Amino acid sequence: MTRIETTETAETTASTDTGNQLPSRLDPDRDLIEYYFEKGFTDGLPVVPPTPQKIDDMVAALGGSPELVECRIPPRWGNLSRQVLAINMVMAGCLPAYAPVVRASLLALSDPHFNLNGVQATTHVACPLVIVNGPVRREIGMNAGHNLFGSGNRANATIGRAIRLVLLNVGGAWPGDLDKSTFGHPGKYTYCIAENEEASPWAPYHVEKGYDGGDSTIMAIAAEAPHSITNHVADDPQGILDSIVSCMSTFAHNNAVSGGHCAVIIGPEHAATISKHNWTRHDVKSYLWYQARNTFGDIAFQHRYGKVYNRNLPKWYSRELDSEIPVVPSIDHIHLFCAGGESGRFSLFLPGWGHMTSPILRALDGSPPKSGDQICVDGMCLL
Amino acid sequence: MHSNHSLILQGRQLNGERKPMPYHTVYDPRGTVNAVPKPLSGRVIGFSGIKLGILDNTKWNGNKLLRKIVAELEAAYQFEAVNYYRKESFSMTAADELISEIVNNNDIVITAIGD
Repeated sequence: MTRIETTETAETTASTDTGNQLPSRLDPDRDLIEYYFEKGFTDGLPVVPPTPQKIDDMVAALGGSPELVECRIPPRWGNLSRQVLAINMVMAGCLPAYAPVVRASLLALSDPHFNLNGVQATTHVACPLVIVNGPVRREIGMNAGHNLFGSGNRANATIGRAIRLVLLNVGGAWPGDLDKSTFGHPGKYTYCIAENEEASPWAPYHVEKGYDGGDSTIMAIAAEAPHSITNHVADDPQGILDSIVSCMSTFAHNNAVSGGHCAVIIGPEHAATISKHNWTRHDVKSYLWYQARNTFGDIAFQHRYGKVYNRNLPKWYSRELDSEIPVVPSIDHIHLFCAGGESGRFSLFLPGWGHMTSPILRALDGSPPKSGDQICVDGMCLL
Repeated sequence: MHSNHSLILQGRQLNGERKPMPYHTVYDPRGTVNAVPKPLSGRVIGFSGIKLGILDNTKWNGNKLLRKIVAELEAAYQFEAVNYYRKESFSMTAADELISEIVNNNDIVITAIGD
């Protein structure tokens, strides 16, 4: 008996969502800022109307070849050509000098290990954060100090904004449509900072991962908004780090229930106190990993709502109710930076999205570390 | 950097490389999409005697929702088989091998999120 009828379906409909690569002409009396609002091409703020000259300059800074497709941006899977990238960068207010950082960031985000398709569409709050290391920070005038996550610096603000405009326009992650985030967070306007290497007592992040200090890199991680950590009292590493441990050791964030990566940003004053006692980056990360714990009973709600196994966490965790569960699976799942203003005894914890994504570290020119070391942040070392 | 950049732009305008146009040039920032049209599968006209595939996306409540659906369907229909599958991760697309297995061994498939 045949139970499946031949389909009558589906007039095959070609996508009409093809975008229009060609510039078009508009009445000179039209308000261009309002035009881009009406077209739905903005992040909710006014954009800089692109001009042919600005686009040409930006394409040149990206390396020419305007039709060259750098990558595709999910979930719409739009083709990010250099021309389209230049349009979005101009709209965001970028200078051409920012082009290598924006380009490297989008190539990192389109690495399959990052799972941008999931990050863009998730109901969770996480979104891509880009942290810049190396000489390019100073060359383009990035803010790694006071209020680095806040307003006031063109490079931080417009690099992050250009990335967001690409995620919206090319990736199609419009709120409520393909972006299903329940809340989102303010970093979905712009979320790009630099490490304060000059104020850090430790080697920069990218040097820890095998690059030379003279290399310029970007690290992309799917992250919640920063959570502030206050400690004005402790004069030793344990005291400061115990405050960070307290912030990490909650079962309310995704790392606790889904593993994966997180970022910790130590403020320069806290870093100075910690390093005065000769604690290295590795010591700090090890302490945080060793101390930041929940019990499995916390994560499983004491089985109050039914027996919980939680297959999102590593299979080698003990699952007795009183078993200690680390907030992240290993010390290398904690990405440690020193950044912020040189006054103020604060640090930050940024929970990640979970095991579903891996951070990506990338040199601006795509070259591997000169040390020849494998970059583990993309998850390959766990295979 | 700001002033240099500004001077360069002004110089270009003064040199007449780009003359003022009697219209605005506007751009589409979306980029093209390479869309491959796919027809829908054949529609099912009866449930009895067919093979039912269940794809659990592993969200917290996905399997609870799916098992209730299966229970209600099994009370109403006699399936030849009910095959249960799980994605590796709820936030990633199902592996090609898993999709092939589902396609090859089932007449219909039900999936759910269960967030």
